[in-house]
Amino acid sequence: MLSIKNLCASVDGKAILNGINLEVYAGEVHAIMGPNGSGKSTLAHILSGRDGYTVSDGEVHYFGQNLLDLETEERAHSGVFLAMQYPVELPGVNNMTFLRESMNAIRKARGEAEIDAVSFMKQVRHRAKQVKLDEKLLKRSVNAGFSGGEKKRNEILQMMMLEPQLAILDETDSGLDIDALRTVADGVNLLRSPDRALIVVTHYQRLLDYIEPDFVHVLASGRIIRSGGKELALELEEKGYEWLQEGAAA
Amino acid sequence: MNACASVFQQAATEYIDSLSNCEGEWLTEQRQAATQRFTELGFPHAGLETWRYTSVEGLLQQDFKITHRTQAFLQHEVIQQFLGEPVAARLVFVDGIYQPNLSGDTGQAGLSIGSLRAAMAAGERSALRGVGSLSGIGDHGFAALNMATLQDGAVIQVSTGVAIQQPIELLYVATKGLSGQVQHTRHRVVLEAGASANLVERYLSLDSESNYFNNLVCEISLGEGASLVHQRAQEESLKAYHLCDVHLDIQGDAHYQGVNAALGGAWSRTTFHARFGGEDANCELDGLYLAGEGQLTDFHLNVDHSVAHCESRENVKGILYGAGKAVFDGLIHVREQAQKSQAHLYNANLMLSRRAEVDTKPQLVILADDVKCSHGTTVGQLDDQALFYLRSRGLDKDQAKRLLSLGFASEIVDSFQSEYLRDHLREEIVKRMSYERQV
Repeated sequence: MLSIKNLCASVDGKAILNGINLEVYAGEVHAIMGPNGSGKSTLAHILSGRDGYTVSDGEVHYFGQNLLDLETEERAHSGVFLAMQYPVELPGVNNMTFLRESMNAIRKARGEAEIDAVSFMKQVRHRAKQVKLDEKLLKRSVNAGFSGGEKKRNEILQMMMLEPQLAILDETDSGLDIDALRTVADGVNLLRSPDRALIVVTHYQRLLDYIEPDFVHVLASGRIIRSGGKELALELEEKGYEWLQEGAAA
Repeated sequence: MNACASVFQQAATEYIDSLSNCEGEWLTEQRQAATQRFTELGFPHAGLETWRYTSVEGLLQQDFKITHRTQAFLQHEVIQQFLGEPVAARLVFVDGIYQPNLSGDTGQAGLSIGSLRAAMAAGERSALRGVGSLSGIGDHGFAALNMATLQDGAVIQVSTGVAIQQPIELLYVATKGLSGQVQHTRHRVVLEAGASANLVERYLSLDSESNYFNNLVCEISLGEGASLVHQRAQEESLKAYHLCDVHLDIQGDAHYQGVNAALGGAWSRTTFHARFGGEDANCELDGLYLAGEGQLTDFHLNVDHSVAHCESRENVKGILYGAGKAVFDGLIHVREQAQKSQAHLYNANLMLSRRAEVDTKPQLVILADDVKCSHGTTVGQLDDQALFYLRSRGLDKDQAKRLLSLGFASEIVDSFQSEYLRDHLREEIVKRMSYERQV
């Protein structure tokens, strides 16, 4: 589904990614871990098309298409979704209007009919219940005045409604208490399916207690320095990132 | 006096002659005095502080005519499409002329409502209920012209202690027939002590190419403890000219809550003059203006705190796109004796284009020493992070811009009490901004 080859990128002339290689197939869950500043969020942003990064080398293919050639919204149309680390507050933009317009934009781009109001309401209520997001927040402005946990639940709600093929979760666990973490993870797990892939970017192992990855990659200084199964996350938890960084430097 | 002004003076004189003194002596004198005032003042020019950023040249080049019109016609079905929620009373004006057959039932205990034309024809000064008492015969050329050649409008009075729950609507529809002409309209609204009402004014053009000049004055007196909700929506064609002076006299304990949306017009200028006549009075005003390609939108405030313990709050937002231009000029004057006043003035502008321009000037002149006052202005663009967020959810750039701009406007749109108007204005804002893209 997703094939990243030697991806090198910089911000304001400063190299952040120094040759990322990653293959993701449908049905897989990949965890990307690493210390602060290792390039985890940059990778997530570049995949979703955020401005401000210069890709100096490498390729990213998504279902055979050159992903980096696509506009941000075109990536969304073809099934890429980024759950943000810091979801943006949109005062005055109604949460439900936003969700419905997003769904319809994606449907339209795929040549599908728009969702009718009744089906939309039914679905959004059902999904909000699953992520334990207060229905009142659906009627409010997007993320405006939401708590950290509510913002993340809202991200997962959007993900559930938009049903992406490739979902990237950027530090979704940050700022969450244990109950919220579990709810968010439950929501993510509901989306696991043989034709969908997930990339979970996280600093801590604890999210992976709830979202069990098939693969764990450790990113340091813009490179994947170690890949392994879920046991790698546990080993990291025990020994810290320094253990690997020293190994990589040696 | 320039050539253009003399043409208008001539037209005004002819207009008054054509009325052949059928309106009563007092009004005829007012008209003549206003003509004289106009002759002295001429048209406003950039040398005057409140007209500094506003050129009237574009308007004068249109060569609009003042004509003595008494008839206009529009089918009932056409009006139907503009009717929203149930009203206590509705006056429909086509090309500025009151249409009794298109208007609703106007009878209600404690509410007196009728057209200015009928009041003028009555010939008695009392029927006019103090027209000119707040505005005088005109403090600038356009206002003087309005008084000199008054055509029609609404005269509304709510009796002491009466609460009119449903809106009183003044619906103005301009047809192609108005093109090339000036429409001189004046509303006189009196709420006696303890009365309350909800006034809606709507200005629409049937044809998007309609080119006319709507020159209005609105005089509102709120007696002690009276309360008025005032919703104004100006959605005229992009070739129309709309000029309106709203004069407010707010007595003690009275409350004015206004919201004004200025969406249309090649040039649209709205000025609110508010004066407090007693303590513990309150004036709240929300405003929204759009200015796109070829549009100039002017918004002026002149709030005079001349007595103690009054509050005023104004929040005006503008969306500018294309080569749109806007002027915001808000003056709050707190006089020496007006202790314990509260005055807050905000203006925020969203610039969607590099070619757009806004001149904003909020001013607080405070002579009292025990007051709470603040003012603020912002001129900004859409947030890149917000745009990225929306696009990452599948909305294209235009959709994302539109949704964020509506979000910016929603604070003001939401202060319209009428749900019908809120929904309608959202649609209208989107429509006007999309039209821009196609140009």
